[in-house]
Amino acid sequence: MKIVRRDIEPDGPGSVKMVPEEADDLWVAYNLIAAGDTVMAVTVRKVLREAASGGRDAERVKLKLEIKVETVEYDKEGSVLRIRGKNILENEHVKIGAFHTLELDLHRPFVLRKVLWDSLSLDTLHQASDIKASADLAVVLMQEGLAHILLVGKSVTTTRSRVETSIPRKHGPSIAGYDKALNKFFDNVLQAFLKHVDFNVVRCAVIASPGFTKDQFHRHLLLEAERRQLRAIIENKSRIILVHTTSGYKHSLREVLDAPNVMNIIKNTKAAEEVRALKDFFAMLSNEPARACYGPKHVEVAHEQMAIQTLLITDELFRSSDVATRQKYVNLVDSVKASGGTAHIFSSMHVSGEQLAQLTGIAAILRFPLPDLDDIEM
Amino acid sequence: MPRKVDYGFRYEDDNYDVYEDYDYDYADDYDYEEEENGIAPVTKAKQEASRTGVWRCPICTYDNENSMSACDICGVLRNPLVKVNNKGDTAAAAAFKFDAPSPDDLVSNGLRSVKSKSKDSRGRGTNFLVESELAANGLVSSSTSVTRERHNGVEENDSTSGSGNKPETFNTRMDTESLPSKSGKARSIIERKTESISQYIPEKWMTPNNKDDGLSQLNLAIVGHVDSGKSTLSGRMLHLLGRISQKEMHKYEKEAKQQGKGSFAFAWALDESAEERERGITMTVGVAFFTSRKYHVVLLDSPGHRDFVPNMISGATQADAAILVVDASMGSFEAGIDAIGGQTREHAQLIRSFGVDQIIIVVNKMDVVEYSKERFDVIKQKLGTFLRSCGFKDSSILWIPASAMENQNLVANPSEARLSWFKGPSLLDAIDSLQLPERDYSKPLLMPICDVIKSQSQGQVTACGKLESGAIRTGSKVLVMPSGITATARSLERDSQLCNIARAGDNVTVNLQGIEGNQVTAGGVICHPDYPVQVTNRLQLKILVLDISTPIVMGSQLEFHIHHAKEAARIVKILSLLDPKTGNTTKKSPRCLLAKQNAIVEVVLQGPVCVEEYSSCRALGRVFLRSSGRTIALGIVTQVIKREE
Repeated sequence: MKIVRRDIEPDGPGSVKMVPEEADDLWVAYNLIAAGDTVMAVTVRKVLREAASGGRDAERVKLKLEIKVETVEYDKEGSVLRIRGKNILENEHVKIGAFHTLELDLHRPFVLRKVLWDSLSLDTLHQASDIKASADLAVVLMQEGLAHILLVGKSVTTTRSRVETSIPRKHGPSIAGYDKALNKFFDNVLQAFLKHVDFNVVRCAVIASPGFTKDQFHRHLLLEAERRQLRAIIENKSRIILVHTTSGYKHSLREVLDAPNVMNIIKNTKAAEEVRALKDFFAMLSNEPARACYGPKHVEVAHEQMAIQTLLITDELFRSSDVATRQKYVNLVDSVKASGGTAHIFSSMHVSGEQLAQLTGIAAILRFPLPDLDDIEM
Repeated sequence: MPRKVDYGFRYEDDNYDVYEDYDYDYADDYDYEEEENGIAPVTKAKQEASRTGVWRCPICTYDNENSMSACDICGVLRNPLVKVNNKGDTAAAAAFKFDAPSPDDLVSNGLRSVKSKSKDSRGRGTNFLVESELAANGLVSSSTSVTRERHNGVEENDSTSGSGNKPETFNTRMDTESLPSKSGKARSIIERKTESISQYIPEKWMTPNNKDDGLSQLNLAIVGHVDSGKSTLSGRMLHLLGRISQKEMHKYEKEAKQQGKGSFAFAWALDESAEERERGITMTVGVAFFTSRKYHVVLLDSPGHRDFVPNMISGATQADAAILVVDASMGSFEAGIDAIGGQTREHAQLIRSFGVDQIIIVVNKMDVVEYSKERFDVIKQKLGTFLRSCGFKDSSILWIPASAMENQNLVANPSEARLSWFKGPSLLDAIDSLQLPERDYSKPLLMPICDVIKSQSQGQVTACGKLESGAIRTGSKVLVMPSGITATARSLERDSQLCNIARAGDNVTVNLQGIEGNQVTAGGVICHPDYPVQVTNRLQLKILVLDISTPIVMGSQLEFHIHHAKEAARIVKILSLLDPKTGNTTKKSPRCLLAKQNAIVEVVLQGPVCVEEYSSCRALGRVFLRSSGRTIALGIVTQVIKREE
């Protein structure tokens, strides 16, 4: 995300002009833009014009609109951000008060004006503009008969493709069938791999599986690349890593991110941090259950007693439309930080964020045990 | 693709509006008749108004309703001379009925059903025209006359066209994510079942009599830590009992030596794929047959490697008894019994939870430890305590020292002098001393599908598996779940020999007719058409948590294994904690589950599976939850919750 201009008073109103550069940035924008803000951008609108002959003519006109946001939608699959709201800028084609849906595109600047820039939004903005090399990792998570191709970004993990075939077992006469089915499966996965993995964007590709499927696939990949002269793969051979996981289902992505050789690459990124924090939480939950809690009520109670050392929270909670709730969570995060603890904000689009969301979305590791938390209703 | 999904939904709703007071149970039953018998709806239409008389099938002497135009059991047409063209005449023939609704109604209803079907099933459109006529026409009389005595509760028709849509839309979307369509079908199927399970009367040929071949089938699973010698042991046994010819054995030896794996020569009899031979491990369960003095034994050679435990579960779910192979050599046994890395423990626990209570422990590679009695006793003591804690009774554990490489104590008493201290039976004798467990002959057919083989040359689909209950015979109609398609069993094979009848406990290969390759999947279940197995993606389980490092919390993602199916699953609710001894609820809605706790939880699966409650069918009610490469919980299905879209 490129920040072109900032005009902000901390904890006050302000506007920022920015240009999203990659899909991740749209996710950041999604987290920033809330109902009640105004967004100004160049967009295309269909306008009805009366032609000289009296017939109506619909023309698509490019114009600059400023709209007051009512709802924001993020399409995971297409990585598109849609903002719907009322127009507040005077315009020759569009009346004030007319509804419009803005689609924010990559590489197109837009201006976001907010009434209140709280610490969280400033944080997010800061992180987004940080010129860190992105975490982009392409992961092929597979097992016999099932493969997922995932792209792990800075704040977003998207499933690019899922391949599933049924592969017969190796019974006497059908051995040939097994090999053939397996090859066909590998071909499908290879196709999906070529389509979705772009080595210019991605830092490295990881092939992960239990058993030997990953080695088989790797061999197949290299052979096919030689045969079909696929330069993209041949040049980037060294950027393909093999990792062992225990299954090919999506939740095994955690294990991939935990693996030492992958960890080295994504060391400083949010995704790795999140995985580590969640792992710590689970470790605490099993060793000293009284020092770990989850659920909004429990965390609040713990916070009142100034017991929170590490707070884990998903960004989904911030996106709730109720201003008061958002304010409450922002205050929570601020006070935890102020008292010397750490707050991790998990992106709900990452595997660990998803897991935390399953667990009510908010959890905490405490400084000292609070055994009577168990008695409080969740 | 999303469009297609909506398509199915909208049209089902449409038709429900029209025929809302019809109970669609009847119609589904009807559909099956249509599809697999290929009987012209006309003949049924004609007979449908007649009284409920019976006619005796000339072949199998079963009494059928008068309204049935084909025998229920053997499928023989009642009036084989009446040849009606399915596609052409039905519309014309339908018009002859006097109490039929006017052709206008027919056409408009039919058109709606035709329109609401997917494009590639035009031929069936006319079937539905007639069905809808019947639906509109026959209320109580038609339904009672056509339904057999088993379906007492069914009153009226339902939107036949609506439910008729389901198999069609389902077929076309088989390869895509067809959850919604499946659910539509499954919903209707589930409703039918509840009334009739108690009225199931097994056929005469289903219960075995003494005239049959005296030997019964025993399914034996061979499990153990990796490299303990399971495949070699199996290969040796097969060779000694004559199932592998000398020539084949020579071939294996030669090829193995060529690849530098001379010691694996016997294992190659079981490990047939190139990948397995190259790496020297078993990856999937190898099935082999041999005959001992008392039984036809089906040998299930399982992989021992950690990563292949899912395959081992799928294979060993068929087992009646098990052989646990341990490596006697110094260090290997210790590695195997290690709590973290070793598979000996995990396999023993899994075997016990499959309901197997008889286990033979073969202490292999005794030649490496010089056949020492001390080593044997040490192993026996260590492992014995563990097995007792798993739940095996001392009386049902047999301990056999042996050496597969040297052929000691396998089929005959040991010839090696150093092994003379052992006075127990040889392995073959031990196998003979096993007891067969109870077989459910008198329940409806249930066969979980272990493997599907599609032969390209003949376009046949073959399913392998072990019958859990009931019996199947060549020519019988079966229902394949979760696709819900009815097919006929064209032929049965047991141990590569054709057979006519297979009963509960037999491991057979069924050749299916009338179904396409992509509608049969491993993990599915073949069942009786009237007693379909339940398909769902939401279950309530009673679980026992094993030794785990991370606690199980709400939202935990795990792998769910049940008979041969596996799915990714998520715990949505932890309902209560149970006291392990009494089974009473100790705590409601606990925060998390720690090791060795009993609890009731609710899980949601990514895809539907065929399950039955544990109380009704054990084999289809046992579940295993795994995560991070370890089995973290064993459980049983206490409740099947209706699936949600």
